[in-house]
Amino acid sequence: MDIHEGAPALSVAGLRKTYGETRAVDGVDLVVGRGEVVALLGPNGAGKSSTIDMIVGLARPDAGEITVFGVTPREAVRKGMVGVMPQEGALLDDVTVGETVALIASLHSAPLPVEEALRRAGVAGLAGRRAARLSGGQKQRVRFAMALVSGPGLLVLDEPTAALDVTARREFWRSMHAFAATGRTVLFSTHYLDEAEAYADRVVLMHAGRIVADGPVSAVMAEVGALGLEDAFLRLTGDSEAVR
Amino acid sequence: MTAYLTFEIRRTLRDAKFLLFAVALPVGLYLLMAGRFIDQGVPASYVMGGVAVFGAIKSALDVGARTAVERGIGWQRQLRLTPLSGGGYLLAKASVAMVVALPPVAGVSLVAALVSGVRLSPGGWALAVLGVWAGTVPFALLGLLIGQFATAQNLQAYQGAVVLVLSFVGGLFIPVSTFPQALATVAKVLPSYWLAQVGHAAALGGDRWRAALVLALYALVLGAAVVVRYRRDTARA
Repeated sequence: MDIHEGAPALSVAGLRKTYGETRAVDGVDLVVGRGEVVALLGPNGAGKSSTIDMIVGLARPDAGEITVFGVTPREAVRKGMVGVMPQEGALLDDVTVGETVALIASLHSAPLPVEEALRRAGVAGLAGRRAARLSGGQKQRVRFAMALVSGPGLLVLDEPTAALDVTARREFWRSMHAFAATGRTVLFSTHYLDEAEAYADRVVLMHAGRIVADGPVSAVMAEVGALGLEDAFLRLTGDSEAVR
Repeated sequence: MTAYLTFEIRRTLRDAKFLLFAVALPVGLYLLMAGRFIDQGVPASYVMGGVAVFGAIKSALDVGARTAVERGIGWQRQLRLTPLSGGGYLLAKASVAMVVALPPVAGVSLVAALVSGVRLSPGGWALAVLGVWAGTVPFALLGLLIGQFATAQNLQAYQGAVVLVLSFVGGLFIPVSTFPQALATVAKVLPSYWLAQVGHAAALGGDRWRAALVLALYALVLGAAVVVRYRRDTARA
């Protein structure tokens, strides 16, 4: 599936994006190797979602280069090399879970079997149920199944657990972790520090459109000389509202 | 594109209430109007033409405009993360609108033939049913355009106003020849007026080619507007 062998899962250089007066993304450089699980961390307005939108081809950068497995984001999406769970929900109430995932699969050239995607996302038992009758946590896992049914090498999750309660969050991460263990690369954004600490190999901290720290959780903490990620986060971003 | 079209058609055909209403409303309207107008000397085939056009227009617009809801919940965004192109999505939606536009035209024509005894030549029926149906394309596109601007909340208001203006000012229910001069001029700008010309030409003769040309131009302009708007929306998201 990978066209450019040896190309990193994701390569971002000099990325910039301005919305009106706001510099949402102000010079981001980032390389994610194959098989890494990376947390993109930062307060609201740090530029996480804007960065992700550009990585998956939903928004066009004002400046900078992005390649996913060596090709443009749009091409990566077209070839099913990148699976995306966008922040805002998208399930049609009148359609069943199985039909929804089967539709997404049918749009791709070499998808996973629908049953496998449902099973990996932990929603195999819900295939016949319409979206209107799903709980928030179930919906999120269906959306996870939609993201992984193309059999992507890179999975991008934009604040996947923002709307979930503690139990649903834990279940979601268990599924994600199992999928990552098959050698896939994962990039997820969150503002839950404990999630970054528990599930990521590497943490990328954003603030005001820039990356202010990048490395393994332990290294990021050492760099700041703080006692925990929360303190490191506070010190680097200078934003007390960010802690939840 | 075929996969998405199949999905959308299956979804639509499952919505029995929507389909039933799409046919029942114009058929009911026809029965109501035919009774009154025929007494006043208006031929049933004339009423048939106007009401069939109304049914087709309303159904086509409804399907397109309902995309506002899907846009609102982020379904269009989700599709942009698949290999399905924007053009493929819009084409599938327009096709579904056309599928739903046929039953009301056929239904009204059938009832007019069975109940009011309307008799046309085979060519006349082809024009009354297939001609009117084909002429619905610009309205399917207009519906999509409304869907790209409206939100789930204000959709009904937009949609209602557009259908009302197209039907009444377009002369689908009241002959434009009885309009005051100024209103008649406005009527002739509307695509619904021209589609009604096609419907009426089936029974009573008249210039159908000029109408076809106007409708084709409308289809081109509205099609371009939909595509441009969809692209802008992509850039914003």
